Amino acid sequence: MITLDVKDIRKKFGNHQVLKGVSFRIEGPELVGLIGPNGAGKTTLTNVLDGAIKPDSGTIRLNGTRIDPLHPYEIARAGLGRTFQVTRAFRRMTVLENLYVPAMAMDASVNRKEMEEKANEILAFLTIDHLRNEYGRALSGGQQKLLELGRLLMLDPDVYILDEPFAGVHPSLMATIYKWIERVNGEGKAIILISHQMESIFTLCRRLLVLNFGDLIADGPPAEVKNDPAVIDAYLGVEEDMSGTGLLTQEASHA
Amino acid sequence: MDHPGFFSLAILWMVLWGAIGGAVIHRAYLARDLDVTAARTVGVAVGAATGPFGLVPLYLRTPTLTRAWQALPWIGVVTVFLFAFRASDPDNVCFTSGTFVTSQLVNGLIMGTIYGLMALGLALIFSIIGIVSFSHGEFYMIGGMVVYYMTEVWAPGLGPIAAVIAACAVTFGIGAAFERAFFTPIYAGKVERPNEYAILVTFGLAFFLQYLVQGLSGANPVKASPFFELPRSEWPAGAPIIETTRSNIKLFDMISISTPRLTAAILSVVMLLALIWFLYNTWTGRALRATAQDRQAAAVAGINPGRMNMLAFGLGCMLAGLAGAVLVQAFSWLPQTGAIPALRAFVIIVLGGLGSLPGAFIGGLILGLVEAAGAGCVPDPTRAAAYLPAYGMIILTLVLLLRPQGLFGRKV
Amino acid sequence: MISHAPKIAGSVAAALLVLFPLVYSAGNYDFVMHLWITAFYYAILASSWALLAGYGGQFSFAHLAFMALGAYGAGILDNYVFLTSLPTGTCTEFGLLGTNIVFLPPAGTGDAGACLTAARATWPEGATVSRFPLLLQIAFGAIVGGGAGWLIGTLVLRLRAAYLALFTVGLSEILRAVLSAEIWLTRGQAGMPMSPLFPEGITILGTTYGPAAKLPAYYVMLALFFATLSLLLWVARSRIGLFLRSLREDEDAAEALGVDTVKWKRAVFVLTAAIAATAGAVQGHYVGLITPNTLVLLQMSLVIAMAVIGGLENLVAAAIGAILISFALEFLRTDFTILGLEVDMTTWRLVFFGLLLMLTLRFLRNGVIQGALMWIERRGVGAETVAKRRAAEEAK
Repeated sequence: MITLDVKDIRKKFGNHQVLKGVSFRIEGPELVGLIGPNGAGKTTLTNVLDGAIKPDSGTIRLNGTRIDPLHPYEIARAGLGRTFQVTRAFRRMTVLENLYVPAMAMDASVNRKEMEEKANEILAFLTIDHLRNEYGRALSGGQQKLLELGRLLMLDPDVYILDEPFAGVHPSLMATIYKWIERVNGEGKAIILISHQMESIFTLCRRLLVLNFGDLIADGPPAEVKNDPAVIDAYLGVEEDMSGTGLLTQEASHA
Repeated sequence: MDHPGFFSLAILWMVLWGAIGGAVIHRAYLARDLDVTAARTVGVAVGAATGPFGLVPLYLRTPTLTRAWQALPWIGVVTVFLFAFRASDPDNVCFTSGTFVTSQLVNGLIMGTIYGLMALGLALIFSIIGIVSFSHGEFYMIGGMVVYYMTEVWAPGLGPIAAVIAACAVTFGIGAAFERAFFTPIYAGKVERPNEYAILVTFGLAFFLQYLVQGLSGANPVKASPFFELPRSEWPAGAPIIETTRSNIKLFDMISISTPRLTAAILSVVMLLALIWFLYNTWTGRALRATAQDRQAAAVAGINPGRMNMLAFGLGCMLAGLAGAVLVQAFSWLPQTGAIPALRAFVIIVLGGLGSLPGAFIGGLILGLVEAAGAGCVPDPTRAAAYLPAYGMIILTLVLLLRPQGLFGRKV
Repeated sequence: MISHAPKIAGSVAAALLVLFPLVYSAGNYDFVMHLWITAFYYAILASSWALLAGYGGQFSFAHLAFMALGAYGAGILDNYVFLTSLPTGTCTEFGLLGTNIVFLPPAGTGDAGACLTAARATWPEGATVSRFPLLLQIAFGAIVGGGAGWLIGTLVLRLRAAYLALFTVGLSEILRAVLSAEIWLTRGQAGMPMSPLFPEGITILGTTYGPAAKLPAYYVMLALFFATLSLLLWVARSRIGLFLRSLREDEDAAEALGVDTVKWKRAVFVLTAAIAATAGAVQGHYVGLITPNTLVLLQMSLVIAMAVIGGLENLVAAAIGAILISFALEFLRTDFTILGLEVDMTTWRLVFFGLLLMLTLRFLRNGVIQGALMWIERRGVGAETVAKRRAAEEAK
C-alpha cells in the first residue's frame, strides 16, 4: 500500500521560519487537500517534498523508504510526482516530446511503440491530442496545465502533488481536470491537491490539511476543518474566495 | 622560492582537508538534524585551516554556526597560507621589505578603486535589467579612445576634463541606443531565453565595437599624455615626507605612487560620490533604486520601467567608459584593451554578489589588493605578470564553489 | 507530415563533398582545398558547440579552450615522446612490447633531444626512431579535452546562464596565459611545431601524395566532420537529446520528471569537449603549428557567430553556417578603396559579422539556415492541428 510519512519538517530561510515542524501521514489512495492563506508555506512544503529544497530537519518516507536526502530526480523515480504553480511545459519541445521525457527518464529501454501509444491515449483523454506535434509554447495556459498532468501520467508515480491545477484554467477544461483526478485516484494513487479554489477542494477532497505560518493547524475531514476555530482565525480578513464553504458565514454572524 | 616542494605539500594538505571537512561536517550536521546551510562551507574552512585538529572537535560538538563561525575560520585559512608561503620562501620581498608591502598595498587600493568603478557599472546594469553585459570591456576601451583622440588629436586645447565628459557622453549614448534597439523584445517577453539572448547579443556588440574601433583607428597602441604633471619638489625639504617628480609621488620615502594612477583614482572617487549623490538625491536616481528593489511596485508608482532600463544600461556603460577615460593616461591603449578589465569586472561582481552596488565597490578593492599581492609576491616575476588575470579567476572559482551568492548577495 | 527533402539534400551534399577534390582542377586547387579543410574544422567546432549550447542550454565560452587542450596534448606527445627500437640508455625511457618509449626533457630545461641524438650516433644501421603514433596522439588529445570537460562540467553544474558564461570566459583566458607563459613546455607565443598528418606522404589508389598535399588532409578532416556530425545527430535524436532539451527548457521541471540533469549536463560537456579537442589535434597536425593565439576570444566569437547565424538548435544548420561563414570570411579579405579611403577588409569583415550576429539574434532568432529547415520540416503541423480539431468537433 502507498504510504507517505512526513515527520516534523522544518525549514528556515534566513530568519524566517517557513515550516515549523510539519507532520502528516497519507495512506492508500487518499485525495488530500492542502490549503492555507498566502505565505503559509504550501509551496515550500511542496518543494521540500519533491526534493527541490532540502529541509533543515525532519524526515520524509515514501512507502517506507527515506526520500528526503535524495535528489529530486531520484524522488521522482521513487514515486512522487508534482506539477508547478506556474506551468512549466517544455516550451520548445513538441507536446509528444514533453510526454516522452518522463517515460524515457523512468526506463531507458522503454518500448518506443508502447510509449507512443500510451502518450497518444493520454493526450486523447486530456482532449489535446490534436496538438501533439505543436510546440509547448503554442498551447494556451490551460492546455499547458493539461500537458503537465499528462506528463505526470507518463511518470506514473504513487503520490501526485498538484500545485494550483485550476488556476487560470478555462472552465471548459475544468471538467477534464476533474476527470483526470478521478482516474488517477481510481487507479489507487494518492493525490495532494493545493488550491485557492475552495469550491473544488471541498467538492473533491475527503481530508484537508491546513497550513498557517508554517504550522499545520488542522487535519481532518472538510466538515470538521470548516468549523475549526483556528482555521477560521487564520482565514479572517484574507481575501480568499471562501463563499460556499461556510468559513465566512460565521464571521458574518459575529459581525 | 627556496622550498617549492614544501609549499605544494602545504597547499595539497589544505585542499585535502578542506574537501574532507566539507563532506564530513555536512554529513554530521545532517545526521543530527541541525541547520546544514552553512555546514559545508564552515567544514571546508575549518578543514583547510586546522586539518584534523579542528575538524574532530567540530564533528563531535557540532555547534550552532553563527556568523563568527562562518567568518573566523577563513581568517585562519589565509593565515595558514601566509605562514606556509613564508616558510617556503623566507627571502621573498613581501616578507623582508615593509616599504615594498606598504607600496603594494597603496597601489592595490588605488587600482581597486578604479576596478570598483568599472564593476559598479556592471552591477548597476544587473540590478535593474537582470543581465550581465559582455560588452563592458569595450565601453572601457571606447572611453579611453575618446579621451585619447580628444586630448591628442581632435581638440587638444579643451583639456582632459572636457575629454572625460565627452567619453561619458559617447559611452552613455552607445549604451542607451543599444539598449533600445536590442533589449526591448526581452521586456515584451518575446525572447524565449532572455539570459542567453542577452549574453549573446552583448557579446556580438563587443565583437562589433572592438573591430569597429580597430577599423577606424588602426591596430596600433596609442598613449595619452598624463592629465596633470607635477613639478619636482620636496616637502619638508631635507627629510621629505612628500617627494614629487613629474609622474611619481613618494610618501615617507617609502610609498611610491604613479601620478596618472593617482589622478585616475581621485577622479573615480569624485565620480563615485557624484553617482551616489545622483542615486540618493534626485528623483531619477531614487526611481532607479526603487526599480532595482521592486520592479512591479516601481511601475505601479508611476516610474516608466523602459526609461529606467535605458538609463541603467547607459549609466552602466558610462561608468565603464569613465574607468577607461581616467586610465588611458596610465596605460597604452589598444582596441583589445577591454578584455582583461571586463574579466576583472565579472570577477568583482560575482565576488561582491551579483547586483549589489556596495559589494561591487568593496569587491573591486579586494581584487585590487589581491592582484597587487600576486604581482608583487609571486616569486617568478615574468610569470607573476603573465598570470595577473589568473588571481582574479582563482577568487572567482573559490567564490562560485563556496559562496555562490557572493559576499553581499542575497541568498539564492 | 515530416518532410524528407532535407535528408535527400543532405545526402546529395555529402556525396558532392566526397567527389569534390577529385573533380575540381582549377589553378587555385591547394588554396580552395585549404578553405574547405578550415571550413570543416569550424563546422566541427560550431556543431558540437550547438549541441552544448543549443540543446543543453550550456552557453560555455570554453569550447576553444578544449580545442587547444586537445591540440597541445597531441603536440606535447609529438614533440617530446618518441618510439625507438633500441634503448638510449641516457634519456628517460621505458620499454613496452619490444619498443622503447623515450621521453625527452621539455625544450626550456636544456637541449631537447640531446640524449636521443647522442644515442642515435652510437646505434647500428637499421635502428629506428619514430614519432608517437598519430592516432594515439589524437586520442590522447581527446582524452585530455574530455577530462577537462568533465572537470569544468562538474565545476559549473550549479551555475546558471551568466555565471557559466563568466566562468568559462575566465577559464579560457587563464589557459591562454598558461600556454603563453610556460615557455619551457609550450614554447609560448612562438608556438609549438607539429609534424604533418602524413609525414612520409601517403599513397591512395596508386597516386602518391607528399606530406604537404592537401587531398589526404581534406579527406581526413571530411571524415572527422562526417563522423562528428553523425555522432552528434545520433545523440541529439536519442533520449539524451530529449533530456538535454528538457533541461535546457526547465531544469527543475526536468528533474521533477526523473531526469538526472547533473549526469546529462556533465555528459554533454565531456562529449563536446572531446570532439573539440579531437578537431584541435587534427587541425594542429594539418597546420603544423599551434599557438596560444588560437584561443583568443575572437576565435570563440567566430564559432559562436557561425552557430548562431546558422541556427543554434539544429546541428546541421550550425555546421552549414560555419562552412558558409568561413568561406565568406576568406572571400571578404580583399581590401578596396572607396571615396579615396582605403578599407582594411581584414578588420571590416569582422565588424560586418559582429553586426550580422546581433541582427540575426534580434530578428531571426532561429538562425538563417535553421529557420529555413524548420519551415520545410514543420510545414504540415499547423494544418494537421486544425484538421484534427475540425474532425473532433464534427464527431461531436
